[in-house]
Amino acid sequence: MTQLLSVKNLCKSFGDQLIVNSVSFDVNESSTLGIVGESGSGKTTLVRSILRAIDPDSGSVRYNGEAGWQNLHELSAKELLPLRREVQMIFQDPFASLNPRMTVQTILEEPLVIHDLGDKAWRKQRVMEMLEKVQLDPSSAARFPHAFSGGQRQRIGIARALILEPRLVVCDESVSALDVSVQSQILDLLKALQSELGLTYLFVAHDLRVVREFCDEVLVMYSGNVVEQGPVEEVFNSPDHDYTRLLLSAIPSPDPDEKLDPLDRATLNLQLA
Amino acid sequence: MSELNELTPGQLAWLRFRRHKLAMVAGGVLIIFYLFAIFCEFISPYTPDQRNARAINAPPMDIRFFDADGQFHPRPFVYGWELNINEDTWMREYQEDTSTRYDIQFFSRGEPYEFWGLIPTERHLFTVDSESEGYIHWFGTDSLGRDMFSRVLYGARVSLSIGILGVGLTLFLGVLLGGFAGYLGGVFDNVVQRITEVLQSIPTLPLWMALSAALPAAWSPLATYFGITIILSLFGWTTLARQVRGRFLAMREEDFVVAARLVGANDRRIIFRHMLPSFVSHIITTATLAVPAMILGETALSFLGIGLRAPVVSWGVLLQQAQNYQVIVMTPWLLLPGAFIVITVIAFNLLGDGLRDAADPYSSLSKT
Repeated sequence: MTQLLSVKNLCKSFGDQLIVNSVSFDVNESSTLGIVGESGSGKTTLVRSILRAIDPDSGSVRYNGEAGWQNLHELSAKELLPLRREVQMIFQDPFASLNPRMTVQTILEEPLVIHDLGDKAWRKQRVMEMLEKVQLDPSSAARFPHAFSGGQRQRIGIARALILEPRLVVCDESVSALDVSVQSQILDLLKALQSELGLTYLFVAHDLRVVREFCDEVLVMYSGNVVEQGPVEEVFNSPDHDYTRLLLSAIPSPDPDEKLDPLDRATLNLQLA
Repeated sequence: MSELNELTPGQLAWLRFRRHKLAMVAGGVLIIFYLFAIFCEFISPYTPDQRNARAINAPPMDIRFFDADGQFHPRPFVYGWELNINEDTWMREYQEDTSTRYDIQFFSRGEPYEFWGLIPTERHLFTVDSESEGYIHWFGTDSLGRDMFSRVLYGARVSLSIGILGVGLTLFLGVLLGGFAGYLGGVFDNVVQRITEVLQSIPTLPLWMALSAALPAAWSPLATYFGITIILSLFGWTTLARQVRGRFLAMREEDFVVAARLVGANDRRIIFRHMLPSFVSHIITTATLAVPAMILGETALSFLGIGLRAPVVSWGVLLQQAQNYQVIVMTPWLLLPGAFIVITVIAFNLLGDGLRDAADPYSSLSKT
């Protein structure tokens, strides 16, 4: 299996608050890495610094793209542009991530225009294809985002991320704003697209059940540190760190009669090494 | 609901605006006022400085269809005034002289003027026959016998345009400085913020007064007009700059802007395609709400005698005549320009409210 992304000792602080503390991990091509942790554990900051939406303080993010291994943070804005085609992001809030003043056609076409791909007719064709791929009616292209439901908007967001045919897609809590039935539809769609296009996902989530079902490997973050990482089944079945146990104990059971009994934080050893 | 899905945000905003009945009315009133201001030379029956020695301080006239005998005339007419001096009080008292009817004529010849300073003509929208003895002073006359209706119209041109021009300049300064402050941040932002605070902490009226007093009295009316406009906008931009800066800062972090950056959009594209369109509507709204402040500013300065001065005619200059109590008792119609100021200011505020509600893309159309 080829390695696609390699993150080494990534650190980021805001003021004197250390948000991401020396995080390292590798991602293989066509696999899915889940990143879990409670709110404020630094998941979003981590993935946004990988995408260079935020500049980290130190550490390296190396990506094995068309041009071979490159350190994303050493590239100039111009050198980065071709890599923008290969690394894309699906956002959390389907209402905030689409410009309310653009039609779906314009939104989906924009990445193609920026990267100067094809002519007008080809781009239009491509938008139609993408809409079909995310199971939306091609006639939606003329509409504005306000005309769609949350799940439909998230599909548009997915179409925008995939229209450049990226290899690595970062999903930042991409299903947590959706209700459960829509969630599973979107997850099924992401899975289908993965096997069709050979995508690699970096999947940020706080819902462990979703991670267990969707991811191959998992990385558990706690206040900026990675406390545990490994294959999903291994981590979920025999957690090493108390924090992972705490998270697992907080998953509600599908059986309504079974009482939720999360572990007590005070009794756990949550000290970071 | 299904056809709502096909509409552009602009069309949706128009739908929301149309439901705001008061704002619609206010918009109509303002359109009429501005049309009056644009075509004031043609609509007014006299030029603003033309004197009528036979009607000094004459009260407003009635425009009639029925004569003193109750007979109907299809063409509207007016009666002239008969001046009597009250021998006890020595007050001038005007009584209608019903012996002669003066028919109102439309598109008729009157005092020659140059339309927009370009086309010499003598046609007016309405007059009474200038060959005859008659005259028409719909809003009465002032102490020099000048027609108040004509003067209110000419004053509208100055007062209403100063609002638009001043707000235009304010917008330019505010969007430029606020935009750069929000986008560049750092030292520039800090400097702009501190200047804003200093300007906002100075009481405006004394400052205006000081600056207007500094305008050379020898300046031509046009130069004074622009001078006053610049003074008014130099202190008006701060609020707008703050809002623009705030929105820039907030919008830089919006998901759809981050998304554009992540697909590789450059700064120019992000600012002009994504950020500016999202707050153009807010800028228009703020500008609409800022126009009355400009108009009131001009009026206040002119009323105090340090803004525009005669022979320029503005609503503030006209109100200068109404500064004493004798006027209010004896010739209350000289206060009419004040009524126009009030109506204009209220109309702008209502229109601004309507636009603000309409511009909010998150306010729902389906409720009510």
